[in-house]
Amino acid sequence: MCGDATNWDEHGYKDSILKDRDFQTRTVFRTAWAPSLNPNPDTLLVASSDGSIASYSISSCISNLNTHSGLFNTSNDRLLAQAQPSCFIQGHDGPTYDLKFYGDGEDALLLSCGDDGRIRGWRWKELTGSNCSVSSHGNDMKPILDLVNPQHRGPWGALSPIPENNAIAVNTQEGSIFAASGDSCAYCWDLETGKVKMVFKGHSDYLHCIVARNSSNQIITGSEDGTARIWDCKSGKSVQVIDPGKDFKLEGSVSWVGCVALDASESWLACSSGRNISLWNLPASECISRISTQATVQDMLFENNQILAVGADPLLNRFDMNGVILSQIQCAPPSAFSISLYPTGVVAVGGYGCCVDVISQFGSHMCTFHCQCV
Amino acid sequence: MEVLKRAIMQQSGPPETFALQMVQEVINPPPKQTKLAQDENQFLENVLRLLLQEFVSASGEKIMQFGQSIDESESETTQGHIPRLLDITLYLCEKEHIEGGMIFQLLEDLTEMSTMENCKDVFGYIESKQDILGKRELFARGKLVMLRTCNQLLRRLSKANDVVFCGRILMFLARFFPLSERSALNIKGVFNTTNVTKYEKEPLEGICIDFNFYQTFWGLQEYFSSPTSVNHAPAKWKKFASSLSVVLNTFEAQPLSDEEGDANNLEEEAVNFSIKYLTSSKLMGLELKDPSFRRHVLVQCLILFDYLKAPGKNDTDLPSEIIKEEITLCEERVKKLLQLTPPKGREFLGKIEHILEREKNWVWWKRDGCLPYERQPIEKKTVQGDKKRRPRWRLGNKELSQLWKWADQNPNALTDPHRVQTPSIMEYWKPLAEDMDPSAGIEAEYHHKNKRVYCWKGLRLAARQDLEGFSKFTDLGIEGVVPLELLPPDVRSKYQAKPNDRGKRSKKEETKASAHQVEENQIATPANEIDGEDVKTDTTATPMEFDAATVIGTQGGPTPDELQKQSSDTDIGPEAGQLEADAEVEAGIIDGETDADVD
Repeated sequence: MCGDATNWDEHGYKDSILKDRDFQTRTVFRTAWAPSLNPNPDTLLVASSDGSIASYSISSCISNLNTHSGLFNTSNDRLLAQAQPSCFIQGHDGPTYDLKFYGDGEDALLLSCGDDGRIRGWRWKELTGSNCSVSSHGNDMKPILDLVNPQHRGPWGALSPIPENNAIAVNTQEGSIFAASGDSCAYCWDLETGKVKMVFKGHSDYLHCIVARNSSNQIITGSEDGTARIWDCKSGKSVQVIDPGKDFKLEGSVSWVGCVALDASESWLACSSGRNISLWNLPASECISRISTQATVQDMLFENNQILAVGADPLLNRFDMNGVILSQIQCAPPSAFSISLYPTGVVAVGGYGCCVDVISQFGSHMCTFHCQCV
Repeated sequence: MEVLKRAIMQQSGPPETFALQMVQEVINPPPKQTKLAQDENQFLENVLRLLLQEFVSASGEKIMQFGQSIDESESETTQGHIPRLLDITLYLCEKEHIEGGMIFQLLEDLTEMSTMENCKDVFGYIESKQDILGKRELFARGKLVMLRTCNQLLRRLSKANDVVFCGRILMFLARFFPLSERSALNIKGVFNTTNVTKYEKEPLEGICIDFNFYQTFWGLQEYFSSPTSVNHAPAKWKKFASSLSVVLNTFEAQPLSDEEGDANNLEEEAVNFSIKYLTSSKLMGLELKDPSFRRHVLVQCLILFDYLKAPGKNDTDLPSEIIKEEITLCEERVKKLLQLTPPKGREFLGKIEHILEREKNWVWWKRDGCLPYERQPIEKKTVQGDKKRRPRWRLGNKELSQLWKWADQNPNALTDPHRVQTPSIMEYWKPLAEDMDPSAGIEAEYHHKNKRVYCWKGLRLAARQDLEGFSKFTDLGIEGVVPLELLPPDVRSKYQAKPNDRGKRSKKEETKASAHQVEENQIATPANEIDGEDVKTDTTATPMEFDAATVIGTQGGPTPDELQKQSSDTDIGPEAGQLEADAEVEAGIIDGETDADVD
């Protein structure tokens, strides 16, 4: 029977190759832990490059993986098990870039933004209650909030394309959503009215990231132009321009601010610049220390007095405030785009290849899985 | 019995004074010899045991102190009744008046009758009499009883709480029995599988923990407690290896800093020491940050690897090549981790490796059938041979010292007809004279006048023995120095300055050549004295005087002092005033001289 091509299904073969390629290059851009009072993390939300938002139950992942392979996988194992999402919605056309929870508890809103320039919101309670599975393609869930970035008006009435949203931040006291946008502006949306309250203009290139410093009603944005800016939300003016790459630029390297992170007291700012992280004390507006890493830093956050950072290599780095490496944990994604921390210390790392690695506070891998594709 | 009791309670002073007499009183009729017959021995033993029992039952809580005088002034010298009884018995046993096993019997009785608290005192007594008990005659009689006593004690002790006392007993046994004593050996190599490390099988509510990791981690202990299973089933090994790699990955990802290593010093560790792991899942996070905890686990791994790699009774027990390779890889990882674990990881690993290496020797010993390996002390000669050290040279190095000793070893060197001597002028110049004969047709390259060393030596000879010839050097060059007698007639005329002087000169030559040696030795001493050098130097150096300079020259880089010495040794010509100048010449030329022949 070998070599018999009578039943050759060319389209099927094409599809399978495309699907395979698509699957391999799919990327998790953001992971987020659902708010919960349980000390053990139960639900992880994953936003990926196919525009989907899926939630996974960690406990079922662990038990499935255990029965699946007998032992949970080590980081070098390429044959990762696929996990079944407990909830699945098609969030955006094009990749979904960011996920945030607005508020917590019963009436928490799940906000997402993506390449289509929209910010969408769902009621988390409804999502968990409903039975939306992969098969239904998540289309039955309508967002309760849908905001579209404004287009720029050019000469003769020409309209620019809708700029994408790369990151969002929230201020629940003011009822605001901040979006870092592709037109080098940051927008402040009013959640109630669905209108743009404020536009923050000043960066010379598109924005990568945004964090809200709610204690002093400020936001901090990081941009492709290599600077981070601190904005006052009341006036919409840039309070301070931080140029973390100033010293590195002299050496001729190009840098951009890919991610910024604030610590819990909102007085320390970590600011990535290519392969470097600079640590700023905001009250003193001084750079305290600089950390050089092996690969481009793509996401980071503070845990107590330590900085967790991931980047273009499969490592989860933990630094202290002086920039000394405390630990380096191998993780599944070859390039990690997102890191999120559960209050009890469990960390989820998501990235290229649609891999998610959940790492316990011991540094051991609780579960590692591939996200399901549509 | 009453007699004995009275003796013990009332007599004071060392047992030697009254013990024998006491025995003779007890035995009825009194024995004739100092050694007792068998039935008499038996009788005495019964009496002693009864007496001991009486003492113990009469005494209160502290049996070893019972009967001790309360009077403070005497308390230093007096003993309790029981130690007294034991002392007397021990004395009798040691002198072989009574059967040697009796003391051991009494000690066993005593430990069996005492509480654990008192046993410590009794054991202290045993330890203090260790030397006497360990004597060959007594040891042969009582070793089994002693072993039984100790094992009974160990069985009664709690392994968790009486660690120190257990250790004392084990130490005593180790010292009491020869090293190769195999009675305590686990000959079959059975593992204590009852030593199970329990851990939680269900995750606790309300705390956050990676339960899989927790189970994997503590699951390893099962393999450690029963390693045979890993050895025989490849599947089990696989499972073990993957669990281990998960744990090692976790360790490797989180190196411990020196601060964490410093945080718990050894004293604290001793306080917290426990022979079992604390396996509560709540402690897991803390334990992973604890360097000593990490060390315990890693050392367990090393022990297991050593077991797996050790040869079994037959070769089929050996693990396969693939598993062996994996073991080696894991072992390297573990060792590296140990090295990185503060404090002093490198030193710690070194010690552990040393201990494991020793352990391997024991494994081999056991495999070879536990042969006794104590050796008789080796005879002294070989001991000295072993002690052979690198010799120390009195004068700095071998050659100098040999030179120094040369004279002592060769007392007749001066009269030896074959000794190397300063050649006479006539002999020395012969080769050059032959070359000067044009009929020989020597090429310039091989001509002796072009050999700088030869010429220089010749000039020095001439300066000493043939001043007249030497003086011609200024006018006629090196060839003029050659004695005319050696030259062929046609060449001779060329160098003949004053023909009438010739006769005188040749006569002088002859006398000098014969008296040469004597003259030299006589002059040597004053020359040295003038120079302020040690007189000793010349007595040894003279036999070699001509070549001394070259010999020393080969040592490379003589110091100015040495040069000075050389000059005094070698330049023994009559012109003491020239010594300085000579020395300078020598110093300048000495490197060029080294290629000259060295005897």
